[in-house]
Amino acid sequence: MTTIATTRAPEDPGAPHAGSAAPERTEPQRLRRSRLAAGRRRTALLWALLLAGPNIALLLVFVYRPLVESLYLSTLQWNLGSPTARFVGLGNYVEWFTAPTTGRIVLTTLVFTVATVGGAMVLGLGLALLLNRRLRGRGIARTVAFAPYVLGGFAVGILWLFMFDPRYGLIQELLGWVGIASPQWYTGRPWPLVMVIVVYLWKNLGYVALIYLAGLQAVPQDLKDAAALDGASAARTLRSVVLPLLTPTTFFLLVTMLLSSLQSFDTIKAMTQGGPLGSTTTLMYSIYVESFVNGRAGYASAVATILFLVLLAVTAVQLRFVQQKVHYA
Amino acid sequence: MSHRTARRATARPRTVVVTALAALTALTAAGCAGPSVGAAGGSDEPSAEAVDWSQVEPAKEITWWSNHPGASQEVEQQFIDEFKDETGISVKLVTAGADYDEVAQRFQAASQTDELPDLVIASDVWWFRYHLNDQIMPVDDVMEFLDADAADFQPALYSDYEYDDQHWAVPYARSTPLFYYNKDLWDAAGLPDRGPETWAELEEWDASLKDEVPEKGSTFGLSTGPSWGAWWFENMIWGQGGAYSDGFELTLDTPEAIAGGQFVHDLFHESGVATLSADDAMADFSSGLIASTIGSTGSLKGALDAAKFEVGTAYLPDGPQGGGTPTGGTGLAIPSSKTPEEQLAAAMFLEFLTDTENTATFSQSTGYMPVRTSAVESDTMKATYEETPQFRTAVDQLADKARVQDDVRVFVPGADALLNDALEQIVIEGADPATAFEEITPRIETAYTENVEPYLDPQD
Repeated sequence: MTTIATTRAPEDPGAPHAGSAAPERTEPQRLRRSRLAAGRRRTALLWALLLAGPNIALLLVFVYRPLVESLYLSTLQWNLGSPTARFVGLGNYVEWFTAPTTGRIVLTTLVFTVATVGGAMVLGLGLALLLNRRLRGRGIARTVAFAPYVLGGFAVGILWLFMFDPRYGLIQELLGWVGIASPQWYTGRPWPLVMVIVVYLWKNLGYVALIYLAGLQAVPQDLKDAAALDGASAARTLRSVVLPLLTPTTFFLLVTMLLSSLQSFDTIKAMTQGGPLGSTTTLMYSIYVESFVNGRAGYASAVATILFLVLLAVTAVQLRFVQQKVHYA
Repeated sequence: MSHRTARRATARPRTVVVTALAALTALTAAGCAGPSVGAAGGSDEPSAEAVDWSQVEPAKEITWWSNHPGASQEVEQQFIDEFKDETGISVKLVTAGADYDEVAQRFQAASQTDELPDLVIASDVWWFRYHLNDQIMPVDDVMEFLDADAADFQPALYSDYEYDDQHWAVPYARSTPLFYYNKDLWDAAGLPDRGPETWAELEEWDASLKDEVPEKGSTFGLSTGPSWGAWWFENMIWGQGGAYSDGFELTLDTPEAIAGGQFVHDLFHESGVATLSADDAMADFSSGLIASTIGSTGSLKGALDAAKFEVGTAYLPDGPQGGGTPTGGTGLAIPSSKTPEEQLAAAMFLEFLTDTENTATFSQSTGYMPVRTSAVESDTMKATYEETPQFRTAVDQLADKARVQDDVRVFVPGADALLNDALEQIVIEGADPATAFEEITPRIETAYTENVEPYLDPQD
């Protein structure tokens, strides 16, 4: 628009014929055109609103409103269920940073997240490479590998709890065959944390493998053939051709797995309830405990905000730095 | 190869959207309807004007949130059907959680919404929180209007719900911890057919019992956990002359309380009489792995059904300073925010559930204690006691040994879980009791000053 205004500047704005070169449109034509364009834009906007509106409304009501409310609640000292509360400003945040349990919770969260995300990525890739081979019964194997992912986390937790039972469980039986005494999975630190990590890994492995499998199948065969012609070994092809081309997949998995791992709740609730002695209490689980067990909804909201900021930072860092290393075929 | 590095310019907007959306989900966890901000304290104001119940027409349909204590879903449904036949009022039974805590958490989360039930489970560690939050109404008036004969409730059980001269719940599935023992193993060890009178006696008996228990087993086994460990531990800390608190004043640093901690420490780590059950001590007991345990009265029916040996029940053993048993389990409360019509219908059902006959039926089918004195003497219970004398132990123990629980455990939100933490440190990790207690003391004090004190009447 500014360019039009500039070219017209020396002329009389009211003059119907500017006597300019042929391609120049007359003023009414221009007006009509811009009105038409504006009309089209309005229609497009209307359509966009109509189509995206319901989703935006849902997001506003179920995501953004609770977010804002939660931020507000984090400034209160509020006994969950009580009709009244007291404003404490940043008191809840100060308490979290100075609480003696915070260090342990952060460390547990870190161990759980690194182990589950790292483990699932490495094992998932291995499984995907295996499932990508031309093997008999490959379809069944793929289904079996993916099945745990669609099971409910709580049910999975309960089932594994039976298997981990140090007195009657399947795992102590298997360990017994090779002469190893079962660790105290339920009570002896750090075994409860190991136990929930194993179960969480098992449950999510199929998901990682499936996404990696899709990624592997998108790797162009001609690149692999070219590498083979150049005399690259299978390992070298994997390292120099396949893995770089899988970086978008790896990146996507890293983001989604990290977010879901940091927010995992059901496995821990079903298996250890954050115990014993808080040894399986992650940041996410501590929000539940503070809010629903201890009734400290304001403090829990503050912890939720802190988790929000952690997720925000982690994702931003990932997108900023990791994506620079992502390669597309 | 035609690799190219993704351009940062395209990453930026995606960064914002992905990051924001992903992280936002974390925050939705704690987002709920908000309270009004100001000076806390609602319980000192009357939650409602006195209702003239004679002018109220009971609602035709009400909802009851239960966790069916003692696998009682069937018998609860049976009561509901009979109540409908008698009064025409329908009761919708909702499984609102697997245990008392889950029901309570759901009830807290539903406050200030219209999703509340008309009748709700209110356990020993939760009813007071409901009351502090103005979520339940006193039942005295409406029970009197219904001629519910509150004086017939076992006094030790009904008085548990008394605060500010009013009762805030009615006893329903009430229990005490019991000492369970394996009569077959007792017999094989040449012991008398009774529980040990003192913990010292159990330690003596350990010498002959430990030869009889299977490999990996032990004379005595226990499990810990929220709403459980800090309950049975009251018997042990009282046995040494200690307590968790005197009123709301914590007494965990007294030599007697520390002696209680030391006692449980030694039971697991010195004498070796006790082992920690991985998950559920009752399951280890029923399978014959441990020769004795502490379990709730509510587990009695299950244990009798599951065990392949004869199950014995006895009072909890005493310590050098006596002992006693805490009472526990759950009552039923009526939410204050419901209409008088719904409240009256709920009270009518409550009265029906806890009348003499239904109390006896419930006790007989679960093992929970009969909450009415008249039910203890009823023909149904007499026949039950005749046939299964184990059912009688809890009732006798209640009369002989019941002691009111320490205020801090039952009245301070989250204190039960913290006390259980300290207990687990001692039992699982072999921690020094004084240190374990010292660690939780400031946290319980914070919970009290934040979540109880501001809501109490000045004169309390």
